[in-house]
Amino acid sequence: MDLSSRNILWRIVALIVGGIFIYAGVIKAMDPVAFANDIDNYKILPWPLAVRLAFYLPWLEMLCGLALLLRSFYRGGLFILTGLVSIFIVASVVARARGLDITCGCFGHASKNWNFSGHLALDLAIFAALIALWISSPRQQQEL
Amino acid sequence: MKASAVRQALLLIALAFVPAIGEAIYFRDKVSWQSPIPASELVTVDQARSWGDNVIWVDARADNEFERDHIPGAILLNEDRWNELLPHFLGQWSPERKIIVYCSAQSCNASREVAKRLRDEAQLKNVFVLDGGWEEWLKDKR
Repeated sequence: MDLSSRNILWRIVALIVGGIFIYAGVIKAMDPVAFANDIDNYKILPWPLAVRLAFYLPWLEMLCGLALLLRSFYRGGLFILTGLVSIFIVASVVARARGLDITCGCFGHASKNWNFSGHLALDLAIFAALIALWISSPRQQQEL
Repeated sequence: MKASAVRQALLLIALAFVPAIGEAIYFRDKVSWQSPIPASELVTVDQARSWGDNVIWVDARADNEFERDHIPGAILLNEDRWNELLPHFLGQWSPERKIIVYCSAQSCNASREVAKRLRDEAQLKNVFVLDGGWEEWLKDKR
């Protein structure tokens, strides 16, 4: 695969990952109370903090998703999303280990009936894509 | 490169506050900021007892926990078998009685979820959640 096709491939990956986060953010921003309940299900944060995060995180996800799509603040967006997904994977595994019956809330109530393995597989796939984008981004910038 | 990524990230983090604060202001009266259940929807064991027979108890715990023990007269209605159990509950329901939903303890969410579904899906009014759940009921009994 030559360099330009590789760049197109990374561009497509960035578009898909960015799109996923914009979609996830919009769904959650439309129903912040449901998302606050989803955060609260993890039993990690007190409710007053969970409800405030429920208003903030969807917008952060949307902005970072847009950053990937528009390639503006690209590495900043990647940096935040990688951090968010890592925290989320750890929180999910810990909640599972504690025997909590969690609704991840990743895609609002649309993902309510997903099982734990499904959630984890999707999160790990997104995490892998973010790491790949992170590694490929300096090369792409040099070639642009 | 790393420094610019961090700078960009900090800027995105700051920017996200703007719409988030706007949305929080818009929702300020629709959200319970201090507790997952608004105070008006929460009842203590003492309050519930003072309502006497004017109450329908709803047990939102799993079937096996309900079978082990439950508040006398409580009706089982959990999310696992919602569609199956709801008609049975509605058969026992009467509009003049208050509904109090409970789950195992303060930390469980089942009572909150069932109470919400009773209000939103079954369109019932006077639905409350027992503060502290089954655990608190047992403590009060001792």
